[in-house]
Amino acid sequence: MRIPVVFLGGQYNHLIVRALKEIGVESWMITPKVRLEELDVDGLVMGGGPHSVNDGLERFGNLPQIIEKGSFPMLGICLSHQLIGLLLGGRVVKGRKPEYGRTVIKVLEADEIFQGVESEFVAWASHNDEVRLDGGKFRVLARSEYCDVEALRHETKQIYGVQFHVEVAETPKGKDILKNFVNMCK
Amino acid sequence: MLKSISPGGYNITSSTFNPSVFVDEKVREIREFVGSSKAAIATSGGVDSTTCAVLAHRALGGKLICFFMDTGFMREGEVQEVSDMLRSLGLPLRVLTVKDRFMEALKGKRDAEEKRIAFRETFYKVLSEEARREGCDVLIQGTIAPDWIETSGGIKTQHNVLEQLGFDTVKRYGFRLLEPLLELYKDQVREVARYLGVRFEASERQPFPGPGLLVRCIGEVREDKLKVLRAATSVVERTLGVLRPTPNQYFAAVVEDERMAASPAVERAVQGILPAGKVEYFTCRTTGVKGDNRAYGKIAVVCGSEVELDRLFALPERIIHEDGEVVRAVYELGEKGSGLGGEGGGGDLNGKRYSVLVRAVETRDFMTAKPYRVPMEVLGRLRDDLLKIGGVSSVCYDITSKPPATVEYE
Repeated sequence: MRIPVVFLGGQYNHLIVRALKEIGVESWMITPKVRLEELDVDGLVMGGGPHSVNDGLERFGNLPQIIEKGSFPMLGICLSHQLIGLLLGGRVVKGRKPEYGRTVIKVLEADEIFQGVESEFVAWASHNDEVRLDGGKFRVLARSEYCDVEALRHETKQIYGVQFHVEVAETPKGKDILKNFVNMCK
Repeated sequence: MLKSISPGGYNITSSTFNPSVFVDEKVREIREFVGSSKAAIATSGGVDSTTCAVLAHRALGGKLICFFMDTGFMREGEVQEVSDMLRSLGLPLRVLTVKDRFMEALKGKRDAEEKRIAFRETFYKVLSEEARREGCDVLIQGTIAPDWIETSGGIKTQHNVLEQLGFDTVKRYGFRLLEPLLELYKDQVREVARYLGVRFEASERQPFPGPGLLVRCIGEVREDKLKVLRAATSVVERTLGVLRPTPNQYFAAVVEDERMAASPAVERAVQGILPAGKVEYFTCRTTGVKGDNRAYGKIAVVCGSEVELDRLFALPERIIHEDGEVVRAVYELGEKGSGLGGEGGGGDLNGKRYSVLVRAVETRDFMTAKPYRVPMEVLGRLRDDLLKIGGVSSVCYDITSKPPATVEYE
């Protein structure tokens, strides 16, 4: 099982690789400049980073094409979740009440990504921007008190985004969510 | 750039970390890199650099020399303790007493990044002079993953991160650099330490940042402030070190007890949780991390009657929602019964009065952390003991997670 992680400059990107390895997956870091045809993988996870998607998409390299055309499951975390939300027709705006640290995720729609996870769980988030649905072509799977789109899914494909960090120790259910994603890649 | 993203490639398919495989690989790598040269390593006595020194010593034996710098920012009695400990591990040690050079370089600097950079430059200047004198052309150091992640992310300049910043160490300082622990997190370093037989006290001791007390002396460093900090550090370590489970990191920081008013909106937000709560800001700034960006902002001081910890821990978020410049909140441990600030502390020292901040966190890997739940009764004892230190006017308990704060203050 090969699932690389796209590095977008976030502090926790390395922790995603670590968590995937602990699950038993072959994982390594790649840059967003990677081309779709070079990706001989079973799935793809994209990390967070310090930018805003509203400052232009140059920093995201080939990710827009990969998200559009890739045929393997994908999971975007934090900044990458926002990129997916934007590419699927939603809007990304500055959060009125940004979350830094502990938050409570409320699952709105049962989905395989949350299989075996309670409908409310503690997670850690750290973001200034957030996704708004606004006519976008995706399903909103979870929300929190201050953020309307904590998790999203492409209407038909296995393309997911989570605003919170599944890879940090302070999100106790994060590993389960990652495992659910890994299972889709099999 | 890719090199700094994923510095090594060992162990990539293995699901769990294996210290014995790691050590064997690194011993080979170190020998190959150093070749017929001699290598130097600087250790602070902390877990990372000590583990790295033992690893390098295993690889190089007599071709390694180990430096320990007394920068003046060590804890009470630490210079003696650390040199004894390093010698007991069989490391070939040289202690460098260089306090004056550091104090000189830091004079008048208040900004956290300026302080860190001045520290780094002095550190490598001293080190390269001494290493050259000993005929070493390789420097080995115990940089670990969070160090370079934070530095390349611009969160803070770790004093030991060079190559990831694009520095040519041969040109700039005259040595080739090797960082065998670059891929590891703290808990993995501890596994390596245990595997190498580094004695318990060293491998389990709480992390101490390379620049030591410097980054806990918030704002400008002065001798009298360092003296207060040293005394406060002893009290906090003694009091919190006996708690079980032990917090992963616990320490004191010191700051001028100079405050300014917070806005009514911030106060209202706090009063939603602490009915008679009051909020002020210290006039200094401190480091934080918000949404993968470095933040350098205000510390809010909350005073109010004692409440349960969960409600205190909810305060930083409320405050930041009203004032985005805040990165951290501390709860002032007032006199029993008064609910407000502990006035009438240890008195005046050179016309300055200081606030001692107590930080204790629970964390796996220091990438994220939550405040440790120190029992109120213990906090009360800490307050009483810390107020006895000359120059201390107030004592506060840090109630902020990482993010939005960092574990250390600068």
